[in-house]
Amino acid sequence: MSGPLLEVRDLAIQFGGLRAVDGVSFVLEQGEILGLLGPNGAGKTVTFNLISGVYKPSSGEIRFAGRRIDGLAPHAIAALGLGRTFQIVKPFTSLTVLENVLVARGVDRYGRAASLWTPWRSRRERDAAMALLERVGLADLAGRKAGLLPLGNLRRLEIARALAVGHKLLLLDESFSGLRHEEIARLEALVRDIRAQGLTVLLIEHNMRVAMGLSDRIVVMEYGRKLAEGSPEAIQQDERVIEAYLGRKGEPHAS
Amino acid sequence: MNGYAVTILTQIAIQAIVVCGLNVIVGYAGQISLGHAAFFGIGAYSAALLSTQGGLSFWAALPLVLAICAACGLLLGLPSLRLKHDFLAITTIGINFVVQAVFLYVPFFGGALGISGIPRVQLFGAALKGTRYLYLCLACLALVVGVSWLFTRVFAGLACFALREDEPAAASMGISPVRFKLLAFMLGTMFAGLGGSLYAHQMRFVSADDFSFPLSVSFLAMLVLGGMGSLAGPLVGALILGALPEVFRPLANFRILFYALILLLMIRFQPGGIFGEASLVRRRLLPRFLGGRS
Repeated sequence: MSGPLLEVRDLAIQFGGLRAVDGVSFVLEQGEILGLLGPNGAGKTVTFNLISGVYKPSSGEIRFAGRRIDGLAPHAIAALGLGRTFQIVKPFTSLTVLENVLVARGVDRYGRAASLWTPWRSRRERDAAMALLERVGLADLAGRKAGLLPLGNLRRLEIARALAVGHKLLLLDESFSGLRHEEIARLEALVRDIRAQGLTVLLIEHNMRVAMGLSDRIVVMEYGRKLAEGSPEAIQQDERVIEAYLGRKGEPHAS
Repeated sequence: MNGYAVTILTQIAIQAIVVCGLNVIVGYAGQISLGHAAFFGIGAYSAALLSTQGGLSFWAALPLVLAICAACGLLLGLPSLRLKHDFLAITTIGINFVVQAVFLYVPFFGGALGISGIPRVQLFGAALKGTRYLYLCLACLALVVGVSWLFTRVFAGLACFALREDEPAAASMGISPVRFKLLAFMLGTMFAGLGGSLYAHQMRFVSADDFSFPLSVSFLAMLVLGGMGSLAGPLVGALILGALPEVFRPLANFRILFYALILLLMIRFQPGGIFGEASLVRRRLLPRFLGGRS
């Protein structure tokens, strides 16, 4: 397969009179970490939801691994190897941490009538799920009910589940927010490690230090449009980006 | 055992089968249903018609009854795809009333007179009645519990759990909400159909009144009391709520009051049901019997 792993072209969605995403285009190359930045309400999470199929775009095109996925249902897109986390964590609260990952491990089975009826409590499934928990550092909490975990651990659980689903592309929606310093450092190492394995990552991040440190390239959004695109260094120097975040020099701050 | 006790136990076993079906829909897949008596009725009427009009034996009719119930479950499960929580509850109540009205007003289903003359179940040339019929019902109950257990152990069941917990998250892991909700509805209504078939051949008479909305409520009450999503819950719930009317017979006038009291106490102190997550039975009693395994 040649060409970029993910290609978003002229993507737009309208909620009533609001164009939440308005003609956004970008590409994501195989093995790249792309950071999606922008002030609150810029349309980053909506873009994620468009790519993962939660919303259907009003117009535009999304290509993933060579095929068009805009208009497909979320479960169909997941089955193509796209895993995602949620900004507002969505654990299966009454299942254990291990069972949460086992659900995600079944991604290849839910679409096929025959493999639906295979047991999930096998040693093989368990070991594979434990390995994922090991990677995100939750192995010792495997038997705990997910509803009892604090936010930091839930974010890691989300990543473990997304890893089980996304063998091609990972969408991380503010996976670092609300975490302590050492947790952030661990997750950064994890994301680098994930990329080193050949996975591609698209991340939304508010923590500038994390976003700049991790991303190979950055796309900045504002008011549903793409404002700038480039390397972290170039973005940090970009007048328009500075203006979007800090306001124009000499102009009173609108509030 | 006297005939009275056998009849009551047979009814409890049949109701437990139906509640196991409700457990698949409500307990496993998290789709509230207040119309389960409709599917119980569809099973009973199918069995009644196939045996009286169609001349089929209980055994020959059973696969057809299950197929009819699965098809109806699929069809009437469709609303659940677009509705959630209270709206789904109200829609399923509506389904109950519509199905009951069809039984009552369509002449094909015998109208207000119902269908009578349903033969007894034959096994090895002998008609099953009394204790033997109870054994048949218990065997069917064992089968239903076994299938439920298997269902919780395969990925299809796990997918239903995930849907119950969080639909968007489940969808992001390749689980089609449509497919698995309908699967749960189909399995649940097939269990109800099996129960209905057994009921028709026990009573040997069915009428639309037997499958009214209050019965759906009572099925749900059994499930909530026993513990939604647990394997033993439907059995315990059916046993307690099935036996209570008999135990409290001297208090006939206060029976409903006792029901309400029990339900309120459960909701206050054991919201997960007797066998639910973190219930007293699970935390205190089971570990003692199982040597601290559970």
